[in-house]
Amino acid sequence: MLKAIEVENLFVQYRSRSGVVKDAVKGLSFQVDRGEVVAFLGPNGAGKSSTLKALMGFLIPASGAVSVFGLEAGSIEAKRRIGYLPEIANYYPYLTPTETLCLYGNLQGLQGQSLRREVAELLEQVGLASASKTLNKNLSKGMLQRVGIAQALLGEPELLILDEFTSGLDPIGRRQLRDLLQKRRDAGCTIFFSSHELDEVEMLCDRVLLIRDGKLIDENAVEALKENLGSYSLTYRGKQFEAPGVCEQLSKQIWRHTFADKGEFMQTLNQTFKHKVELLDVSCSDGSLEDYFVDTIRRSA
Amino acid sequence: MKFHAWGALAGGVIKESIRRKDLWVIAILSLVILLFSSALGFFGVQGLQVFAKDLGLTLLSVLSTIMAALISTRLLPDELKSKTIYPLAARPISRFDLLFGKYLGAVFATWVGFLLLATTTFIGLAIFKVSFEPILLQYLVFKAFGLALLCSVGMMFSLYCTTNAAATLTMVLAFGGTILSRGLTMAYGQSAPALQAFFKALNAVLPQYGLFDLGGRAANVRWSPAPMWVAAFLFGYAVVYSGFMLALGMRKFGKQAL
Repeated sequence: MLKAIEVENLFVQYRSRSGVVKDAVKGLSFQVDRGEVVAFLGPNGAGKSSTLKALMGFLIPASGAVSVFGLEAGSIEAKRRIGYLPEIANYYPYLTPTETLCLYGNLQGLQGQSLRREVAELLEQVGLASASKTLNKNLSKGMLQRVGIAQALLGEPELLILDEFTSGLDPIGRRQLRDLLQKRRDAGCTIFFSSHELDEVEMLCDRVLLIRDGKLIDENAVEALKENLGSYSLTYRGKQFEAPGVCEQLSKQIWRHTFADKGEFMQTLNQTFKHKVELLDVSCSDGSLEDYFVDTIRRSA
Repeated sequence: MKFHAWGALAGGVIKESIRRKDLWVIAILSLVILLFSSALGFFGVQGLQVFAKDLGLTLLSVLSTIMAALISTRLLPDELKSKTIYPLAARPISRFDLLFGKYLGAVFATWVGFLLLATTTFIGLAIFKVSFEPILLQYLVFKAFGLALLCSVGMMFSLYCTTNAAATLTMVLAFGGTILSRGLTMAYGQSAPALQAFFKALNAVLPQYGLFDLGGRAANVRWSPAPMWVAAFLFGYAVVYSGFMLALGMRKFGKQAL
């Protein structure tokens, strides 16, 4: 089956006015399956937006191959199947959200009553129904971001490419958007997005791709990450007994065992009763994506 | 589908131009012309009909030229600068459709402004009891062709240089084009055959915007309208030249990283 996105050895370069060539993306390769929700993470300047722009055909790669549903990235056929949200939410200041969406809908090939109905529904879904006739120039940053999200969802695209989609949204807006995206995912839509909001990533994603300096440095399923990132420890007073994990002596007869694996932790916890030691503290913490992000970026540096 | 996309893009440009109050400036300028003409009529300066007509048409020509240069040179750079180009370029349309739709938008917005100016000018002239000959209508049609050509020049320049430079170059070619052409013709007559070819080529490349201005004829003497073949030729020239300018613009815009 054709992949939703295939990127093979992608190189993107920018040439400054003085002729200096800067590599934004260096040999990036990855794939996204249909129906998958994948987050594209990386520090500022890692090459995320450049990769998304290459996927949309906004720039011509220096080398490499980029395809969407097996079609050349940037081709009219490919763009027909994509909804795109740019990083910066700027829309025509002297048009209203309804007019803006109708303009984009017309370019999408939608027209008439069905377009007007879809526009009204989308504005309702993103919470902009009451501001549908306000000029864009009078909308707040968060409201403009909602206009952007609505335009990306126009025409029920098979693939959503979202660049920093939570930017400027308040917590209610984020939840609304998350619900909206989850519905689209349930309907089979593929979602590929970049974000710095790791909580959103954790709640929405199947997989994360981590890039740094234009190169892919790690790729992981979110569920697997959550399991591997967990940290468990127990502290007891008494005679030390043998157990997996790392053991350290805190003071005379006080010991702490630390585990990365939940199963080992549970097994050791059961042993404390058998060895008749006095349990002083038990700590379980799920690992966060933030720890993973920071650790992986640091390791790769 | 393409016509639909071009229409949508052009419609957006016109709606924005009207709401941005660009055209209000034109309306205010028109009002100035109207008041000036009325004042001449009020003071009973009867021998000045020709002068008033000449002045009115010259102002109409100058203001519409400036308007065409400013609107056409600002459109795409503004889109690129404000990043509004991204949601547009993400639609299933080609870069050419995008450029051509914006060009049509610039042309129609200029024409709306031009018609607004022309209407107030003619009202002013009517107050001054100036007679209207059929050549005035032809003046409007030819001028509209010329403005469309000028928009293509402005749009092409805006893709190769800064907005200010593009607007300046467009206006220099519009207002100084006739003088430049005359200079090239004189140089052609006095130069060696090798240079003659160069001057000829240079003259062919220059937009012959002056050809579209019938203002002088329409104002000063009772000229009859130009024959249809002249109108057809000018229309053909405007289409071919604009196509050439847009092709040049597309050469840059087609490969430009957004």
